[in-house]
Amino acid sequence: MRRILLLAAFVLTLSSMWIALTLGTVEGPPANPESPVRNIIYIHVPSSIFALFCFVALLTGSVGYLITSKPGWDILAAASAEVGAIFAIISNLTGSIFSRAEWNIWWTPSPRLIFTAILLLLYIVYLILRSSLEGSARRKARICAVFGIVAFIDVPMVIISARFIPDIHRPGFSFTSSWQRAAFFLSMAAMILLGSLMISLKAEILRSKARLEEQTFS
Amino acid sequence: MRYFWLSFKAVFIKDIVTELRARQVLPTMIVLGVLIVWILRMASETASAGAVIIGPVSLWIAILFSGLLAQERSFATEQQQDCICGLLLAPVDEGTIYLSKLLVNVVMLCIFEVIIVPIVVVAFHLDITAHRPALIGVLLLGNIGLSSVGTLFSAIVELTRTRGALLSILVLVILMPMMIPVTFALLAIFNGIDDELAGTGALAFVGSFKAAVGYMVAFDAIFVVVCWLLFPFVVKE
Repeated sequence: MRRILLLAAFVLTLSSMWIALTLGTVEGPPANPESPVRNIIYIHVPSSIFALFCFVALLTGSVGYLITSKPGWDILAAASAEVGAIFAIISNLTGSIFSRAEWNIWWTPSPRLIFTAILLLLYIVYLILRSSLEGSARRKARICAVFGIVAFIDVPMVIISARFIPDIHRPGFSFTSSWQRAAFFLSMAAMILLGSLMISLKAEILRSKARLEEQTFS
Repeated sequence: MRYFWLSFKAVFIKDIVTELRARQVLPTMIVLGVLIVWILRMASETASAGAVIIGPVSLWIAILFSGLLAQERSFATEQQQDCICGLLLAPVDEGTIYLSKLLVNVVMLCIFEVIIVPIVVVAFHLDITAHRPALIGVLLLGNIGLSSVGTLFSAIVELTRTRGALLSILVLVILMPMMIPVTFALLAIFNGIDDELAGTGALAFVGSFKAAVGYMVAFDAIFVVVCWLLFPFVVKE
């Protein structure tokens, strides 16, 4: 039953991504219609939002672990960090490509670009810390949870920089047709589905790994 | 409350006396700081940017890396002969241990700055006579922010394989948002901020010296409170 559900979710993710991108190509993006890489916006914006969402999941897992000490919370935090890192890389890369095509620069020290880069670095450092900790599994999980919570202090800055600070980005974009809006929200839904699927698969792998380690040492 | 002050004072004095006797950290910090300033002074000779920009920046870089050196020792010394176990077994609240270690690191940085600021001023021919109180305030706020995160993570890195190397990336990545107001404030003190600074840059968003100080106070308050609350989770077995 679980396999069928996973397969269904996978098919749903792929099909929604395909429809969103096809619709996006036909309808054009809400941004500059003359831009040569205009459709990247259907990947860039949803992946940036999901990268932020992963940090909320990481915080939830970290706080949950410190309160309950249940390994499930730690697994959620670890899986969210790995998936979040992937989405933050996608967000930074696609943003850089778009910036080069649109403004003729790969990167500039504007607040939003700095804080998006920091978000990626936070994920990477979390994963480095996770892999280099020594001691019992419980202690490792506790330390990672502490780092996850302290790192979350930087996240509101990412949101503030994206919403309230003048930036190289346009203040906001509007949709010219309802199909454009549909394509954008469908790509958003596809990205959320894909990310959630990846988190659940990674969590499953981590759970199996923990079980294996328990059996090996018992 | 009286008990808090007694234990706070005991841990603080223990660390200061240890440093005064061993003199392990301060000389290393000063040598590293002087080297950083010296290297950047040499590099700035050919740079088109003026001393009013490179000078404050080199001061902040020297403080940052020398501070990391000091914080790394915070808990490294406690690991020798399991001193940390003795400290945790003593009837002292973990939060108090964190606050005293934080104060020790702030004091160390202040002593370091008393030496490094004149060196930077002389090396880059800077004028600080009119802005002394502002410089002291900004450096103090910077010290608190740097030490709050550094003290917590110095306890964390003692449990890792890479130790010191990891501390620098852990602290710097968390402190990244604070770097912008600190850099702005230091540049503003030395008149390194261009009047036409506007548009979409990170420094432009800070806007004014007052706003930069406001951001720093906010970051310091958040970092100190969060790190103080989380410290017991790091040290408990």
